[in-house]
Amino acid sequence: MSGADRIAVTADGDWTGDVDEDEGVVVNWFAGEGGAVDVGDALCEIQVEKVGVDIEAPADGTVVEIVFSEDDEFTIGDTLAWIEPE
Amino acid sequence: MANISTRQLKSMYDDMVTARYYEERLQEEYMEGKQPAFDISAGPLPGELHLAAGHEASGAGVCEHLRDDDTVTAPHRPHHIAIAKGVDLKRMTAEIFGRETGLSRGKGGHMHLFDTDVNFACSGIIAEGCPPAAGAGLAAKKRNDDSVAVAYLGEGAIDQGAFLESLNFAAVRDLPVVFVIEDNDWAISMPKDRVTDVENGSQRASGFDMPGVRVNHDDAVAIHEAAGKAIGRARDRNGPTLIEVQVHRRMGHFMGDPETYRPEEDQEAATQRDSIERLAEDLRARGVDSATLDDIESEAHDRVDEAIEWAKDQPQPDPAQAHEDVFVNPPSGVTDSEPQYELKRGDD
Amino acid sequence: MSQERQRPAVERELTMSRAVVEAIAEEMRDNEEVFYMGEDVADYGGIFDSTEGLLDEFGHDRVMDVPISETAYLGAAVGAAQEGMRPIAELMFVDFFGVAMDQIYNQMAKNTYMSGGAVNVPMVLTAAVGGTYNDAAQHSQTLYGTFAHMPGMKVVVPSTAYEAKGLMHNAIRDDDPVVYMFHKRLMGIGWMPAPQGPKTPVPEEDYTIPFGSADIKREGSDVTVVTLGLHVHRALDAAAELEDDGHDVEVIDLRSLVPLDTETIIESVEKTGSLVVVDEDYRSYGVTGEIVASVAEESLADLDAVERVAVPDVPIPYSRPMENEVIPDSKDIEDAVKALE
Repeated sequence: MSGADRIAVTADGDWTGDVDEDEGVVVNWFAGEGGAVDVGDALCEIQVEKVGVDIEAPADGTVVEIVFSEDDEFTIGDTLAWIEPE
Repeated sequence: MANISTRQLKSMYDDMVTARYYEERLQEEYMEGKQPAFDISAGPLPGELHLAAGHEASGAGVCEHLRDDDTVTAPHRPHHIAIAKGVDLKRMTAEIFGRETGLSRGKGGHMHLFDTDVNFACSGIIAEGCPPAAGAGLAAKKRNDDSVAVAYLGEGAIDQGAFLESLNFAAVRDLPVVFVIEDNDWAISMPKDRVTDVENGSQRASGFDMPGVRVNHDDAVAIHEAAGKAIGRARDRNGPTLIEVQVHRRMGHFMGDPETYRPEEDQEAATQRDSIERLAEDLRARGVDSATLDDIESEAHDRVDEAIEWAKDQPQPDPAQAHEDVFVNPPSGVTDSEPQYELKRGDD
Repeated sequence: MSQERQRPAVERELTMSRAVVEAIAEEMRDNEEVFYMGEDVADYGGIFDSTEGLLDEFGHDRVMDVPISETAYLGAAVGAAQEGMRPIAELMFVDFFGVAMDQIYNQMAKNTYMSGGAVNVPMVLTAAVGGTYNDAAQHSQTLYGTFAHMPGMKVVVPSTAYEAKGLMHNAIRDDDPVVYMFHKRLMGIGWMPAPQGPKTPVPEEDYTIPFGSADIKREGSDVTVVTLGLHVHRALDAAAELEDDGHDVEVIDLRSLVPLDTETIIESVEKTGSLVVVDEDYRSYGVTGEIVASVAEESLADLDAVERVAVPDVPIPYSRPMENEVIPDSKDIEDAVKALE
């Protein structure tokens, strides 16, 4: 499968309205690179200000790249990881 | 408002603007090193921090009646009460920063402030300041002095045994104690109507045959009036009173609280009903001009800034001091030797 | 038959809090008689995430926020358990046990014995324990020894997500009262970052870990380090450092204090001859003394050297330099191991 088909896992969602800051930190990854995930699985937990949020897998597939590791800071909207769909 | 002088109003205003600015400054200091994601153990001011912005009127309105020899016990949200009671602001701040010159030499922290000069103490366990306040009242009564004790607690604490037992103990012994419930509507995430069937905490008094009073707004003058009656009653040795005052929680339960359980309207409403602005209006109605109020406020800000700067300059405790202060006497007690007796046994 | 069961490879990793919640949720699905009571456990999801998400699935009837009345709701858990239900009741901080200790040690722990076994109390008392974040004397204790000292309670302390899930399943299914003490620093909460180690792969299916089965977290031949909770990870850090100095350290995670797996400890000491016990509780009359005494009673001849690493007998101080002084860190464990020589 070509890299172009990869799906981005982005730091975005309904929760962005609950926070004022643009930046957050990746707190926990629950899958590693090469790990198989189902759509809706909690992939990682991020924290923005005092609010913790789960980022879910957007599709069934394999985590092929983790862009922001644990403790890394990101900006809302950043791509946290890439999934290669099944 | 007849029973309160303009001087007293100004004194309360001073306490309240000091306390508000203190909490705002502590919030800033506390968040240092904890961004962008909140980490409770990072930064120069670690640990839990429970700020009392929105509670100021209950500290000022009650403590305005108190002398240094009157005792106050406060709960885990203590700063506004400490300020109104006259706790040394610099040494309190140094304690909150965990410094050697803090009130407790860095051992207590913000939930465990002790200032014996003004008989102030606080505790981090819900309602557990009530029995010691009853004890201070008991001591005053036994010694026949006219000091009183005030126990502060939150509305979430009214379901705790220590509170209910203390009410009964104080009532049956006619102790000079005033119990002050600060009702900020929230026990962490719990609105009070989900944990008690009474509308107001002051209703608890009726079961102990003591007066129960509710002040429906965080109106410093109304609180002052209610507290005046209760403290007068205690000083005259006529027994305890329970007062509940409505206050507001403006900054979350603790500084890591996301408050995701709290409706936004409620959060906003808490910031709109401002007891400080209400008292400023009262003062203006007495002919105190805005310039005078501004002066009180800016002097308060200077004192707070100075206390915080001073505290941050204070030395960290030597780690070895952790091993001191468990006892005031040596482990052997008041003596390290015992007399020689020949103890005769009956059957010898 | 004698063949070891093939374990499926597990990829998914969970934090300790999520593993705890997964076990509770599974038990609640299986058994309608399981319910959870505590302060801020419903809408808040537990101050330390111990019940995060349970409200959504089970509602307020089974995930119950309670008044700040520990005596009442812990005692109510005892009563409901004696009726045959399986309550889980949470003390937000173990330090708060004081306001309700009668219900814990005079009722929960003793009713089985006092009734000659006629009554049983199948409840779980969960409690957050531990320091390391400057919360001072009333919010930082572990009190492992306090609970383990008094007969009638099983006492378990998970150190990783894998253990947390298996021990919780076993706790809920156990017909006796179980005190389940989870360390705040290990839960994987965003605002209290965990060290490396407690987040582990966790099987999706349910499984039980028996109480009284210590786990050898690291095999070694020179020194036995026995510990629990957060200090399993600090001991592993120390062992990694000590390896460079030529010390081969075995690290044993007790996982439960009652019952206590003395057999695993003694087997290890028979091999190494040296014992270091590491505890985040107070030094005197506690876990360290108990472990050393148990080994001495059964295997004194094998014991060449002993060290205890624990909180000295002072309340936990607030200020960071002083808290760091009293709570053992990995350097203290290294020093203790070196002191054996």
